Order: sequence, then C-alpha cells, then structure tokens
Amino acid sequence: MRRLMLVIASTALAGVALATWGGIASAREAGPTVALAAAQAKLPPLPAEVQERKRWNIAVKCDTPPFGYIGARSQHAGFDVEIARWFSRFAFGKSNRVTFTCVTTPAREPALTTGRVDLVIATFTYNVDRDTRIDFSRGYYKGTGRLLVPNNSSIRSIADLGGKTVATTSGSIYDRWVKNCFKDTKLIVTDSFTNAVIALRDGRADTLMWDDTAVLGIAVTDRNYKLTSDLFLPGPYGIGIKQGNTPMKAWVDSRLNLMKKRDMFFPILKNTVPPAQVGPFSKNILRPNQTFAYNQVDPTTVCP
Amino acid sequence: MSFLPDWAEPVLRYMLEVGLRGTLQIAAISLAGSLLIGVPLGTLLTIKFMPSRALIRLYIEVWRGLPVLVTLFLVFFLLPSLNPRLEFDALISASIALTLWGSAQVAEATRGAVQSIPKEQHEAASALGFGWIGRHVFVILPQALRRLLPPLVSLLVNIIQTSTIAQVIGAPELLESAERQVERLAAPPPIGIGEIKAFPIYATVMVIFFCISFPLTRLAAYLERRLA
Amino acid sequence: MDILAVTFDWSFITENGDELLAGLRRTLEVSAIAIAGAFVIGLVLGAARAHRVPVVSQLAAVYVEIIRNTPILVQIFFLFFGLPQIGIILEPFTVAWLAVTIWGGAFNTENFRAGFEAVPHRFREAGFALGFGRLTTFLNVTLPIGGRIALPSSINTYISVVKNTSLMYVISYPELTTTALNINALTLQTVETFTTLAVSYLVIVWTMSASIRVVERRLALPEDAR
Repeated sequence: MRRLMLVIASTALAGVALATWGGIASAREAGPTVALAAAQAKLPPLPAEVQERKRWNIAVKCDTPPFGYIGARSQHAGFDVEIARWFSRFAFGKSNRVTFTCVTTPAREPALTTGRVDLVIATFTYNVDRDTRIDFSRGYYKGTGRLLVPNNSSIRSIADLGGKTVATTSGSIYDRWVKNCFKDTKLIVTDSFTNAVIALRDGRADTLMWDDTAVLGIAVTDRNYKLTSDLFLPGPYGIGIKQGNTPMKAWVDSRLNLMKKRDMFFPILKNTVPPAQVGPFSKNILRPNQTFAYNQVDPTTVCP
Repeated sequence: MSFLPDWAEPVLRYMLEVGLRGTLQIAAISLAGSLLIGVPLGTLLTIKFMPSRALIRLYIEVWRGLPVLVTLFLVFFLLPSLNPRLEFDALISASIALTLWGSAQVAEATRGAVQSIPKEQHEAASALGFGWIGRHVFVILPQALRRLLPPLVSLLVNIIQTSTIAQVIGAPELLESAERQVERLAAPPPIGIGEIKAFPIYATVMVIFFCISFPLTRLAAYLERRLA
Repeated sequence: MDILAVTFDWSFITENGDELLAGLRRTLEVSAIAIAGAFVIGLVLGAARAHRVPVVSQLAAVYVEIIRNTPILVQIFFLFFGLPQIGIILEPFTVAWLAVTIWGGAFNTENFRAGFEAVPHRFREAGFALGFGRLTTFLNVTLPIGGRIALPSSINTYISVVKNTSLMYVISYPELTTTALNINALTLQTVETFTTLAVSYLVIVWTMSASIRVVERRLALPEDAR
C-alpha cells in the first residue's frame, strides 16, 4: 500500500510541479511610458477587482492570425492582443500587466460567465442572442461577410448561390443565414475556419463564406482564389464583458472611444497585419471620422 | 540547431515549452485522479453487496463505454449548463474527462488484482485482528499492486496519448501547440511565412509521442513478463 | 438534487431526428468499413507475425509499434492536414474510414498474433502429420482455434474503432458526434444534444460488448465449454 500511495503522491506532486513550471510568457517591451494619466482624467475609473489584482485577465484567440496568435517568440500577438496591451497601459502604465488565456470559439462565453477572465477580446461578433447572456463593449472592428471563390467560379455574388455548396463554420451567423434564406443552397459546416478552407480547396464546396479578414488572407496568399465584390452581414466585433458589470463596460467603452479619437487603432493595424492587408482592413477599424454600430435586429433573419 | 530551417526553431520551442508541458500536466493529474478513484472503487467492487456493486458497475460501464471525446464534451459543455459552478477551464476539463475514463479502467483492473489474491491472505489478516479496511489497505492491496503495475503503465501510455483530445477544446497540450504554430506559419509575412507546414509539424508531434510511449510500452511488456 | 433540475425537450428529437440519424448512419458506415478492414489486416499480419514470415513480419512489427505508440488523433491530423502538403489530398470520408482502419488493423494484428501463438504447437504438428501443408494447417488448425482465442480481444478493438470514429469531429466529417455538435451550435439545446449523443454511444457500445459474451459462448472451444 505504501508503494501505491507513493505512486499517487509522486504523480500528484509531478502535476503540481508542472503546473508551476514556466510561468507567464508576457512580452516585455520597454517602450516609453506614455503620459496617459491626463487623457484619462475624466474617464470612468478602473473597476475595483482589476485594481486590486493589479493585473488584467483577458481571453484571446491563439490560432487566429492576425487577431490573436502565438508569435515566433512564443508570445501572444495580434490585433486583439495589442488592444489588451493598451488596456494594460491605460490601467497600470505598463503593457505587461495582463495575463492572457487562450480561448476557442465555443469557450468564449463560458470564460466570462464563470468570471475566469475580465474581458474576452477574441473576434467576438456581436449578436442580439449573445447580448442576452453577456455584455458587449461598443464595436471595435467591423467584420463583414465575403465570398471566397476559385478564379474560374460562376459565382459572382450571393445571388448565384442557388444549387451551390457553401462552406462555413458551424454555429456562425453565416450558418444561420444560409439555413434561413438560401433554401436550395447546400451547406458544409465545419468546426474550424481551417477545415472550411480545406473543403473549398478539395472542391467539396463551391465557395467559402466568412469574415472578410480571414478570407482576405487566403485571397492574398493563394492566387487561385478571389473574393466576390459583394459585402453582406456586417457584424462588428465587440469586447465581451460579464453580464451586468457596468463599471467594466463604462471603462472599456471610454478607452475604446479614446483610442478612436486619437486614431490609435491604425498604428496597431499597421503593426499586426501584413502590409498588403493594411489598406482593406483600415476601412474596418474605428478612426476619428470612421465609426459603426451593432445591428439591433438579428441579421440572419433578414434575407436579401 | 543550424540544420533546422529558420521557421522550425520557434515552433519546436513552443511545442516543447508549452505543449509538452501541458500534455504532461494533464497526464499527471489524470493518472493521480484515476488511481485515487479507481483503486477504492475496484476494491469495493469485490464486496458482494448488490446495490454498491451495481452502482460501481454502472460507473465503470458508462465511462468505459463512452468515447472519451464525448465525455470531454459532457464535462466542458453539459456540466456548466446544469450548474454554472461546474465550469472548468480546458485543461482541467480534459483532466476530469480522462480521470473518469481512467478511473473506470483502474477500478476494473483493481477488482481483478484483488480477487487474484488467495482467500488465505484474507483469513490470515482477519486472524491478526485486521478489520475490512485494515485488511485491504495493509495486506491485500500491497500484494495486488504487483499485479496492477503492468496495466497501470499501459494506462499511463493510454492517458498520455488520449490527452490529445484536449486539443478539441483548445487546452494547451502538444497537438494544440502544434496547431497554433501551423496556423501562424500559414499567415502571410510578417506574421508567418505564408506556407502550410502541417506535414513536418504533425510528423514531429508523432515522433515526440513515440519517444514517450515506446519506452513505456516496453516497460509494461517487461513487467508483464516478469509477473508471469 | 435541485442543482441538477433540468428538463428534456422532446421536440429536440422530432426536430433534429433525421439529421442525427444521418450522422448515426455515417458512424456505423465508417465503423463497418473499418471493422472489416481491421479484421483482414489483423488476420494477415497477425499470421505473418505469429509464423515469423520474413520481411512481412518485421514490417508489420514496425507498423504496429508506430500506430500503437502515437495518438490516433495525431494520426488523423497527419492524414488530413499533413498529407495534402505532399500532394496527397484525401476526402474527410476517406480519412475517416482509413484512419480507424489503420488504427484497428494495428491493434488487431496484435490480437490475432497472440491468438495464433496461443495455439499449442502439438496441434500444428498433428496437422503436419496428417500431411497438411503449411497453409492448409493454418487454415484448418491454427485459424479456427487461434481465431476463437483472439475473438474477445478483437471485438474489444472493434468497439474502440466505433468509439474512435467520434474523433472525426476534428476533420468535420458529419458522423454522429460532429452532427450533434453542429446542431448544438445552432439550437444551444445543450442538455438534449449531449444526452442524446451519450445515450446513442452507450447503446451501440453496450450492445457490442454484450455480443462478446454471446459469441464467446457460441464459439467456445469444445474443451472450454465445460
């Protein structure tokens, strides 16, 4: 029995040891401390729970470049990650006061409802249904639906989808929209964007319907594919906040507005997105003279 | 590591530092959990008391019968919808799912091992004044452990391999770390290199798992032979 | 039990039954192909291993060790995401049955090898004494006896094959698990989805394990049927 206890104890010990091994791999960039205090003087104060912890807990994607991914130095990187780093600067004057948690698409809501993270900045498309369970900040990035097709495709716009097969991810607004509005269109739904791309490349699907940001990346790197010209289902990304946490929402919205006013999203974009994509992406971000709002009706029930 | 292409070094480092660490973490927690739950359940299963036996049987048959992936979905998606407090992060959810499955295996193996101990050992222990618990803890289980060791090593191999299902819910284990790097490399520069490197990266994942599993399966086979 | 007070909305079954049945059908289809394939692979390579057929036996050993010592999920990733890079593009359906066939074949090779090796040497000698050749001896002596010895463990492998088809979720092949998850993503009827999913698998798996007992009894060697 002693041996058995030894086995159990040692494996448990190994588990604990492994758990503490490593630590947080936050990037340490020693930039000049921007005088942010003055700009924030009249803005809502940092929520108490974050103030006490002296740290943000923020959920991001880890496999979705250019929004959230793991960089070559094993660091978190991407557009969403940079916004989180700015939140750290706003709150604590340093960019590294944030603990990142990787989330997958279906894990985003649970991460908030359990209070595991303060914020979810992870390509989180606003929709009315989600808004009943969690709160959203104002939109910070305008995702739009696009069709990716092979160069020789007969599909020129969403009007040509009859009898065709569309690939998209399961549970997405595109999944709902096609089911609702395109009755004679076949759907291949996949668990990940990568699998949807593979379905198109294999020829199982005639077109791929998804957020412009992601399909644009394919169109840029693969010369066999292009985007059709039409835009549909505009769906701004918001920052997820636990339902009812009004001080948090006030803080986040005010800082996003500050970033908009000072045109801070554009440099983030330039630093995180491949040069060829800066132009098209810049129409989707908040800028001093550029804004967008959420749809208050469920867009997937509105048929073209 | 000059023989490796430029893109490979950061990928490998991330896979070992984050991925392998997560895999070993899940495996260690699951093995400990499987033993803590499985050994007592298996021992209790040898008592000829119908209700307790039926309950333990049901536990074993359910968690052995379900695909571990489905068990993982039950833990990760179903439990929180039953009660928000039953919500765990990806790594813990994977460990719980593997523990449910592993403890069912351990319970079944323990039952067999305990029953293989001759009746005389029970009688001798009783004669020395041991109660049921003392008899099992100090006399029977230490002997049963010898028989239990080969299946436990096999179980460890199985747990390490099956821990890859945690990738499905995004827990930081070896396969997930590899997938993240494949996704990054596929993005155009400066993010990645604009090329899909799935073949060498997933082949590397296979090699790493092989290097861990092969010695352990050899060990299990050796222990089994020594017992025979 | 207040914390677990949940209701099951039966309309979930009527509304999604067709789609779930289609998923179940694909699960069974892929499983059937893989079980047949694993049976053939196990039989041939198991015999080659047990009788130490040169070259084939060594190659089979390498195959078995690679498959048994790497996770099947990584094998699926390799087949579906890795192979296209070297020009081998397989459909999800192909990867689905191929992955579980390769996996089941490796485990079955070991099952059959153990079964054939358990056949007492004197039985084979008796076959040779009757003037049988090596193949005839195998077909008439080793196979019927060793095959029965291997049967329970090989059925266990087939059960694992069925369970492993659930992993095709990662390649979005719409078998039972993928179908259920897709439905859940749209309906958010988590309790209904996962209860239905779990019960379906338990019914299949428990039926198969019950069959082990029946088959064991019916095919028991005369000397064991005491």
